[in-house]
Amino acid sequence: MVAGQEDFTLDTAADLAGRERDGNEVRGRSPWALAWRRLRRNYVALASLGVFLLVVVCCLLAPVYANHVAHRGPNDTNLTGSIEVNGKSVPVISNGGATVLPDGTVVVVPAGQPIGPQWGAAGGQYVLGADQLGRDLAVRLLYGGRNSLRIGLTAAAISTIISVLLALLAAYFGGAVDWILSRVFDLIWAFPVILLGIALGTALSINGFHHAGINLAAGDLWIPTAVIAFVFIPYIARPLRGQVLALREKEFVEAATAQGAGPIRIMLTELLPNVASTVLVLFTLIVANAILTEVGLSFLGAGVQPPNASWGTLISDGQAWLSTDPWFSILPGIFIAVTVLSLNIFGDGLRDALDPRAKVRIEH
Amino acid sequence: MRIKQGRTVVLVAVAATGLALLASACGGGGSGKGTTTGGGSTAGKTFAQLKVVWGPTDYMDPGLSYRLASWQIFQDVYMGLVVKAHVSCQTGDCTKILPGLAASLPTSNQAGTDYKFTLRKGLKYSNGEPVKASDFAYTVARDFKLNSPGLGFFANIVGIDGCEKTPTSCTPASITGITSNDQAGTIEIKLKNPESDFLYELSIPFSALVPSSTPLTDTENPPPAASGPYYIASYTPSRSFLLKRNPYWKKDELGMSVPNGNPDTIVGLMTPDQDRSAQLVQSGQYMYDENLLPTTRLAALKQNYGSQIRFWSTPSTYYWFLNESKPPFNNLKARQAVNYATDASALVKLRGGLAIPTQNFLPPSYPQYKKINPYPYNLQKAKQLVQESGTKGDHVDLYTEGDVDTAKSAGEYEQGVLQKLGYNVTIHEIGSANYFTIVGNQATTPTPNIGYADWFEDYPYPSDWFHILLDGDTITKTHNNNYGLVDFKDVNAKIAQLDALPPSQAFTAQTNAEWAAVDNELQTKYAATVPYLNSLLTSFLSSKMDMSCDIYTDSQDDLAQMCLK
Repeated sequence: MVAGQEDFTLDTAADLAGRERDGNEVRGRSPWALAWRRLRRNYVALASLGVFLLVVVCCLLAPVYANHVAHRGPNDTNLTGSIEVNGKSVPVISNGGATVLPDGTVVVVPAGQPIGPQWGAAGGQYVLGADQLGRDLAVRLLYGGRNSLRIGLTAAAISTIISVLLALLAAYFGGAVDWILSRVFDLIWAFPVILLGIALGTALSINGFHHAGINLAAGDLWIPTAVIAFVFIPYIARPLRGQVLALREKEFVEAATAQGAGPIRIMLTELLPNVASTVLVLFTLIVANAILTEVGLSFLGAGVQPPNASWGTLISDGQAWLSTDPWFSILPGIFIAVTVLSLNIFGDGLRDALDPRAKVRIEH
Repeated sequence: MRIKQGRTVVLVAVAATGLALLASACGGGGSGKGTTTGGGSTAGKTFAQLKVVWGPTDYMDPGLSYRLASWQIFQDVYMGLVVKAHVSCQTGDCTKILPGLAASLPTSNQAGTDYKFTLRKGLKYSNGEPVKASDFAYTVARDFKLNSPGLGFFANIVGIDGCEKTPTSCTPASITGITSNDQAGTIEIKLKNPESDFLYELSIPFSALVPSSTPLTDTENPPPAASGPYYIASYTPSRSFLLKRNPYWKKDELGMSVPNGNPDTIVGLMTPDQDRSAQLVQSGQYMYDENLLPTTRLAALKQNYGSQIRFWSTPSTYYWFLNESKPPFNNLKARQAVNYATDASALVKLRGGLAIPTQNFLPPSYPQYKKINPYPYNLQKAKQLVQESGTKGDHVDLYTEGDVDTAKSAGEYEQGVLQKLGYNVTIHEIGSANYFTIVGNQATTPTPNIGYADWFEDYPYPSDWFHILLDGDTITKTHNNNYGLVDFKDVNAKIAQLDALPPSQAFTAQTNAEWAAVDNELQTKYAATVPYLNSLLTSFLSSKMDMSCDIYTDSQDDLAQMCLK
């Protein structure tokens, strides 16, 4: 039995009234159906989901853009090349150099200025311009998004799965198991996320991870993924544990126990479904936080390693160019803001749809 | 020395009289011309405070630092028995050796193995202690206790072997080749062999005298007492430093060939951020920027502040060292491939144009320089060589400075080059303050396979380059400057042979040609390194400063001689 089915909502009342008026038989709707109905009416949340999916699709299409539009990979440097712009050959990185005259005078022609946004003037190349190494900024923006989203989503998923398991174990068994796991959560929770992430990320980015049969090279994307997944465990596990603790005392759990159901069956078939909506909302919110954390770690050099792109590394690379080419940093910043904002708005809408009375938050 | 780090040179050469060689050597390299002596007049140009922006450095202890950023400060703080002339390298001979704490240049025996100095009278350090003759032996012993990167300079002194064997037990008394008389103020230094650049070695900070009360550990807060016109009153690593006038410095009485100094105090703010440091001078908050101008804004700065900027060609070379002790770069074809695949003109662009491409190890200002181009850029050929070497797919750890934009970009460029060749590259970006200490430590893990490096002459002679950086006989466990562990026996022997020439033969056409041949052999036959550019450095002064007082010596701009409009 799913707890809360007897809850009466205005939607249910309106539905009943409508059917009675029409003379139709009253049919019950599952909580998920009700939730979907509520979510469907939240146009802001749906629009935010649409924006997020649009960002995801754009990033997924990065290889298509790189191969067929820009004709350049994300890490392809082009310091000495040139492109055709409106029929004229323009160096991707400006030429220049120094000459020492016989009398010792030094003549300098400054070089190294990357080409700015070409939009459509160069046949799809360097639409948003080049960075200091002649790499296509638009291509790196999309590939960076792939990495940031991949790390964020994967880390959130791993963190959620582990957190659910640990929360169920801690809350169901109680006693020493609960005590140990709770202290582990507290220990991880005690460290600020970014500091812990930097410490772990930096340590693992030097030599990689080669233990217990797992071999991850220093620049492997699984390293920041694992680090972020690890640091967010208590942010999901603690609130879930609390919910499971409350559910454990309900009669349906007692009834299942009386029927001879073992711990695993009770956890999976009785407790887990009742916290599924909370898990879903937390997952959505954690994805946003995970993306932000990845961006922060990569910005600081403890996340995605060069030459791989991520929105964080792009902002970091663009720091030196803020006064001349500010879009190097602004563009990835816009992508981050739009992605995280859309996720947060959708997450709020999802929370309202799944349980309007829920007070699920990510506490820092 | 490193442009952001220095190094010691060990040079053993036959010299009947080091003075004669130096007199001819001074015009033989670097960027100096003429034979002017002493610094410029400072009369009427003194002012209260000079505020400068500085790049991070490794140490502020003269026994330990091997970076230009520190040596530029030390030229006005720590004096040796002899000093280099504090004159402009463009208009004078900035590498000329002049008396420092010694009353005059030394006398020596016919063989050039016995030097005698007499200290000037009445010298005192900034803490009031008298400068004693025995302080020289103390300084040398202290360098050994510190495991200084400058130890190689003293390798030719008689009785130094015990200190080399067990540096921690080195004492002044154990260095039997140095004898001194504090009352008479005399110092006698006996060498095992003649050495034509010995006086140069006495002019660099590792040989600068410090009081015998100076601790035998890294002393930076504050650094050791000074014998020059300024002392370092405080130093916070990578943050700030403060120089004040040495109250016991009396140039006019002592007649030392070092300027008194115009500013009363020098306040230094340290930051690796080239953009920020330029901005601070641009806004007038600070008066001099020691950092390289940010290449991102070079064109705009040159256009708007051209009259406040100077560009200096320097006897320097930037190169990638290749670790030849382990795969893949213990393979000649792999090394050649990297040379073919590295486009120097691309790296010049990353430096904003403040460089000249090269494939020589020696800088072009040297008479021993003969231009070579054994590896014209050819990516296809490089890939073929990698294939032939059997090293394709090998893992490579590339090291570079991560907080200096030009080095970081160069590292990422080279990473891309190696990946195009089929290597699996991990880049390690290290803070510039610790970079050379880390890559110079053979215990560093993961071991660098390839790394960013640069060199700025200690003095204008090829042994300062080859013997320190590419001679297998100078490899050390820590503070190693031969980062690639280059060790080719025939080249080592050739370097030793050329170092041992008498001074009269040190700069002949034949000798110069033989040094050029060493340069050629190391690159063409062995592809020992990947040299790619000779650097320019910049001086950016605020609008308050009088540019005519910007004297660029062999240790960069002399802060003591700067003046206001």
